[in-house]
Amino acid sequence: MLGFVIQRLLQAFVVMLVISMLVFTGVYAVGNPIDVLISPDATQLIREQTIRAYGLDQPLWKQYLDFLGRLVRADFGRSFIFNMPVLDLIFSRLPATLELTLAAVLGATLLGVPLGMYAGYRPDGVAAKTIMAFSILGFSVPTFWIGLVLIFTFAVSLGWLPAGGRGATSTLFGVQWSFLTGDGLTHLLLPALNLSLFKFAMMVRLARAGTREIMLTDTVKFARAAGESEWTILSRHVLRLIAIPIVTVFGLEFGSTLAFAVVTETIFSWPGVGKLIIDSISTLDRPVMVAYLMLVAFFFIAINFTVDIAYAALDPRLRTRKAS
Amino acid sequence: MSALLEVSGLTTRFSTRAGVLNAVEDVSFTVDAGEIVGLVGESGSGKSVTGFSILGLIDPPGRIVSGSVKLDGRELVGLDHGALRSMRGREIAMVFQDPSATLNPVLTIGAQMQLAIAAHEKLSEQAAVARCVEVLNTVGIPDAAARIRAYPHQFSGGMRQRVAIAIALLNRPKLIICDEPTTALDVSIQAQILTEMKSLAARLGTAMIWISHDLATVSSVASRILVMYAGRLIESGPIADVLRTPRHPYTLGLLNSLPGIAEPGQDLVQIRGAMPSLIALPPGCAFQPRCGFARAECATRPELTVSGARGLRCHFPLAEAAE
Repeated sequence: MLGFVIQRLLQAFVVMLVISMLVFTGVYAVGNPIDVLISPDATQLIREQTIRAYGLDQPLWKQYLDFLGRLVRADFGRSFIFNMPVLDLIFSRLPATLELTLAAVLGATLLGVPLGMYAGYRPDGVAAKTIMAFSILGFSVPTFWIGLVLIFTFAVSLGWLPAGGRGATSTLFGVQWSFLTGDGLTHLLLPALNLSLFKFAMMVRLARAGTREIMLTDTVKFARAAGESEWTILSRHVLRLIAIPIVTVFGLEFGSTLAFAVVTETIFSWPGVGKLIIDSISTLDRPVMVAYLMLVAFFFIAINFTVDIAYAALDPRLRTRKAS
Repeated sequence: MSALLEVSGLTTRFSTRAGVLNAVEDVSFTVDAGEIVGLVGESGSGKSVTGFSILGLIDPPGRIVSGSVKLDGRELVGLDHGALRSMRGREIAMVFQDPSATLNPVLTIGAQMQLAIAAHEKLSEQAAVARCVEVLNTVGIPDAAARIRAYPHQFSGGMRQRVAIAIALLNRPKLIICDEPTTALDVSIQAQILTEMKSLAARLGTAMIWISHDLATVSSVASRILVMYAGRLIESGPIADVLRTPRHPYTLGLLNSLPGIAEPGQDLVQIRGAMPSLIALPPGCAFQPRCGFARAECATRPELTVSGARGLRCHFPLAEAAE
């Protein structure tokens, strides 16, 4: 197990290094931030001073090495636009995205897996067919459109829920959270629903396919022959057996939503990192882009690692193989 | 004394897209308490479906269309789901062919055994564990108290099947349906399990229906044998009698194809042809197209005739001298 962890850490280090290189060169290739940073009518002198101040006069490799040097001290640089440390900027926005993502992915899983299992258990029933039809909808209708429809229906026409923003927040562990206040929850509901539809559809399909397959196995027949109830069979046997693909997709979806909840955050003006990255791209705020993309890579590595650990917890056969 | 299990006229029908077929047709037999009855036939002969029908575990599109299954005089066909569920495991249990497929790979065997106990009675954790250890000891798992926390893949094939048998024994059923429980095992382990199952049945007074395609296996455990062909019971009787003087040509064919009977170096005798599709059975005797003794009368269906301990479904039973 320790060997496994060390191996993964080394892998993670290499991946992060490669990502930093790609991201840095990639961002370098996109436009010149100087044009955005200073007004077009600034004097040539001011222009050159600014360029030098941001180190933009150096060749690419030099800039990259400087960047790496600062990185070792956990310094991602300062935002060109907000003029504050990039990490502070990102972490001030991250909780908003984190709670939105968690609400969406958890909601989709907690609702999607049981419904999917039911659809797989009674595949020919009316309920199963309704669930499946709904899941096709979740798959095929674009997120932004559903977001607009949700706002139009619940915020504009019915006036039940707010159309955007985070609402009132409350502090926990020194961070502002919306889900701790009633007002925050009403603000969270629509964007979370919007984000979760696609994931819900995916969870339904995964759980249904897994359940259909497992229900035909001898494991289920044997449990039935022992007199176990259908509920026991579904909750204790089937759920455990279909858990691995579900955990995998949960992790991947969690990571990608955390990183790219852009569309939903924009529609609902949710002040999360998705909106931050879009703004930083349009203002060519290089340090923010680089730091953010590296953070995303780091999230994925961390999530994949957690998922691998979860595999071992879920499937004892993997545990022994790793130990040997 | 009346029989423990009384199956009469059992017919299980599958309505599939390709057509309607009777996987089990008009099957009648009895099993006495503590008795081991062998149920023999080739693949698709309906022996497993018979087992599942007794347990009420036929999934759609299958359905028991007629007949009765009585356990201790109580009718099981037509019982509601709840009653059938509480009967399964507690009165009739079942063991399957491949233990690596029947045991849940992600639960410890202790957890699985406790689920099987919890299905029938509320025991304290401690009492449940004690029962598990006791039953594992009974089936010959060494160091049961520690092994209870092990997962199925940490057992050998033979040990896994013992665990499955232990689960079947947990609620002290009166009857265990063994569906080829030794087929997936090594030959040496097979013999071991066979002997132990036989002594278990004798010691605990548990009756067994031993389903197998392997005459040799069945003859070493069972006291009576039932031969099925194309969903129908075609011959039954005390095992020694049937093996010594088979009266149905199919049983004779089965016996002749045993490797032990052939001269060394000679080809094994085969039953020519293959079992007909259950959807398109020939009229009359189902074995008639493959039977060397078939005559015109075989186009009408023979009834099961019982004389003494032996039952037979054939117009022209082989004479005793045919051995």
